[in-house]
Amino acid sequence: MHISYLKTVIMYCVNELQGQRTIYSILHLLNGKKSSQTIQDAHLFQLTPLFRSFGNLSRGVLEHLAEEIINSSWMTAIEEKHYILTAEGKRELERSLLECPIPSSLNGWLYHSTGELFWERITLLIQVISHLNYNNAKYLPIQRKRDVHEWLKDFLRTSGIARNEVGVMLYRELGQCLEELSEINPAVLTLRLTGYNRIGLTAVQASELLRINQDYYHHQFLGAIHHILESVKENPAEFPLIDKIMSGSGNEVQLTLSAQKTYSLLKQGLDLDEIAKIRRLKKSTIEDHVVEVALNDRSFNISRYVSEERQKLIINAANIADSLQLKQIRQIVPESDYFEIRLVMAKLGERQ
Amino acid sequence: MRLEALLQSKFGYPAFRPGQKEIIESVLAGRNTVAMLPTGTGKSLCYQLPGYMIEGQVIIISPLLSLMQDQAEQLMMNGEKKVIAFNSFLSRSEKRKALINLNQYKFIFISPEMLYYESVLSQLQKLCIALFVVDEAHCISQWGYDFRPDYLKLGEVRQKIGNPVTLALTATATREVKADIKKSLGILDCSEFIYSVDRPNIALTVEKADNFRVKTERLVELAETLEGPGIIYFSSKKMAEQTADLLREKGAKRVMAYHGGMDHESRILVQQQFIHGQLDLICATSAFGMGINKDNIRYVIHFHMPLQIESYLQEIGRAGRDGKQSIAIMLYAPGDEQLPLQIAENELPDKSQIDWITGWMEENPNAIMNISAYEEQIKQRSGLTDIQWRIFYDFFERKNKSGLGYKRILQEMNGYFEDRIKFKRNSIEEVYRWIHKENCRRENILSYFDEEKNTSVQFCCDICGLQFENFIRNTKSDNQDKTFYDWKNHLEYLLIPGE
Repeated sequence: MHISYLKTVIMYCVNELQGQRTIYSILHLLNGKKSSQTIQDAHLFQLTPLFRSFGNLSRGVLEHLAEEIINSSWMTAIEEKHYILTAEGKRELERSLLECPIPSSLNGWLYHSTGELFWERITLLIQVISHLNYNNAKYLPIQRKRDVHEWLKDFLRTSGIARNEVGVMLYRELGQCLEELSEINPAVLTLRLTGYNRIGLTAVQASELLRINQDYYHHQFLGAIHHILESVKENPAEFPLIDKIMSGSGNEVQLTLSAQKTYSLLKQGLDLDEIAKIRRLKKSTIEDHVVEVALNDRSFNISRYVSEERQKLIINAANIADSLQLKQIRQIVPESDYFEIRLVMAKLGERQ
Repeated sequence: MRLEALLQSKFGYPAFRPGQKEIIESVLAGRNTVAMLPTGTGKSLCYQLPGYMIEGQVIIISPLLSLMQDQAEQLMMNGEKKVIAFNSFLSRSEKRKALINLNQYKFIFISPEMLYYESVLSQLQKLCIALFVVDEAHCISQWGYDFRPDYLKLGEVRQKIGNPVTLALTATATREVKADIKKSLGILDCSEFIYSVDRPNIALTVEKADNFRVKTERLVELAETLEGPGIIYFSSKKMAEQTADLLREKGAKRVMAYHGGMDHESRILVQQQFIHGQLDLICATSAFGMGINKDNIRYVIHFHMPLQIESYLQEIGRAGRDGKQSIAIMLYAPGDEQLPLQIAENELPDKSQIDWITGWMEENPNAIMNISAYEEQIKQRSGLTDIQWRIFYDFFERKNKSGLGYKRILQEMNGYFEDRIKFKRNSIEEVYRWIHKENCRRENILSYFDEEKNTSVQFCCDICGLQFENFIRNTKSDNQDKTFYDWKNHLEYLLIPGE
């Protein structure tokens, strides 16, 4: 039997969450909601690769699929909206992951926004180069966003690479990146490209042509893009042109706007109470921001808020607790408050 | 000959289409001009070409954002860089930048609601305006099928910017609408160029089916046998989507849906695939077609009843722009008139909703000056849709600015909406009558626009009688694309210069 890929993904998340979060936390994760809670959960339960990998999933569809999974007795509720997989469900998950593995290169957390930007830029660049190659100047740009157009003009003017060289370089670099893909057919990406007299396919058309389920196609498409970005990041010298295309795209820290404001006040040396007062926010909100910063910025030092000693105690507690629920951890280290535990877990999640 | 030379060098066309030259000459002679050219015969050229011959800016008022965007892009594609589409797509800073540099552009597209801003108007006043173009001018008239209240301001705006030479363009206007256009813009003394709405190379047929199922079967049959490329219009996104799926399942591979609910990239791709001949058939909503220049469309089918004769003409007018024989087919099943009636009624807030809002305003008098802040609350509790809210809000704000009390405004609104619904119902009935009349379909349409049919048309309509075989494709096209897809070849084709 064939179960839909999206169901597999949901069951995978349910399995990782172990009933410690509601089913809606999966929606927020796949939608890529930029709330402190979602971001922290993604790290805590090692679900960061899936972050914003189904941006359009609706509540209704999720609920509907969850119901179907329950009706197949693959999943059962342990409390209101909290689910775990049944033994049968775990077997089913294993089986379907074997058939349709989640692409290992998928890394939504790190690349969701740069991935979109990369796609906009690369598709427009390829279209422009292709038309230049054929000396045709009349065509409708495939991307409409003004800033992408501005970027392209700038890029062609300032890259210092001859225009006919750009195509040759891009061909080599893209080819090399795509050839390395083991689980994904490079056609997943190349079918979508537009050039002179040849218009790219839409996602639906490409998935139909390749006979891949639309949702699975979407993950493979993202997986291919994330693979390219990862390859370039690991070895920029090998892929100078793509590296140039992505330079200045601001990758590393992706904070919510509000957390950004808090972070800049933190950097000025203010303490949490002062920031709460200035920003007219509750202290707990400011604490959420600090946790978010800890998740995002590897260089962020949390010992200003939790002593090294206490950090060790909390890590110990996390290792022996039955689950990663904060409540359970706190029972082992009652002298710590939730803020301290979350900060430590933020750093811990990253290491795993 | 100068005009023809410019036409060739700037636009690459060897000759003018009927009407274009006369209209252009009138504008160049500095006369205010009302021009009615049927859909698909190159209206935009009538302001683009003069733009290159006179000093100063060409201001184009355009009612639909997507249309405006298309037209601006079209010009840019033609190598014109001094184009700007000044509308709500621009960010605040982009707007500011554009306003300061307005005089550096040649073609300035503006959406009518932008003219409410004093800052925009005062910048326009500083320009040296060569030509003031009102596109889709029928929107100015209450009697027009697409009335836009924002258009009512245009006469006043025109005066404020120094009464520049004005060109009002439309594809379809009845006598009343024409009179409204002239009066509203203050150009009673203008030259008129009216060309028949008739497109003799498009055969008109109506097919009646017993019920929905039979209608659907007939649609599939038509899609499988007619000589393409073609467009099928639907009033619902879902039906467009489902029909495209159905046809693909049945083996017609080169069919796609197109509607406003698709993401931007897919929309461009589908549109471009169709233009480049990679697709044979589009299952579309009315969102498809504007600004699309494809001249070999052979048929247009309407699966749902259109809301007006005017929009029907616009949509079938996308067929046969190359002048070759084409066909328009309207499918009808009993009860089909219910859907357009519903659509028309749902567009506007109804009386009970406005009554509710009246009550709410009584309780919240302080909210009236800042009504947009309560959008979510009002929408949720009164059940207004996004479109209804937009219409309500526009009306309210316009009247509120003129200092009318809220009770009076809401009263007026009720009356106004009632009139609009009546008008829309009439328009739908007009289409209904057209479908059911038993004499020449072309004659009926023409008489709606006070025209007479005076040429004989070989393939006129189903009533006059026509052979369907002429529109059937003779080659059974092999839909299966058997060529093996090689991604590296594709990449090479795109990126490496050919020999």
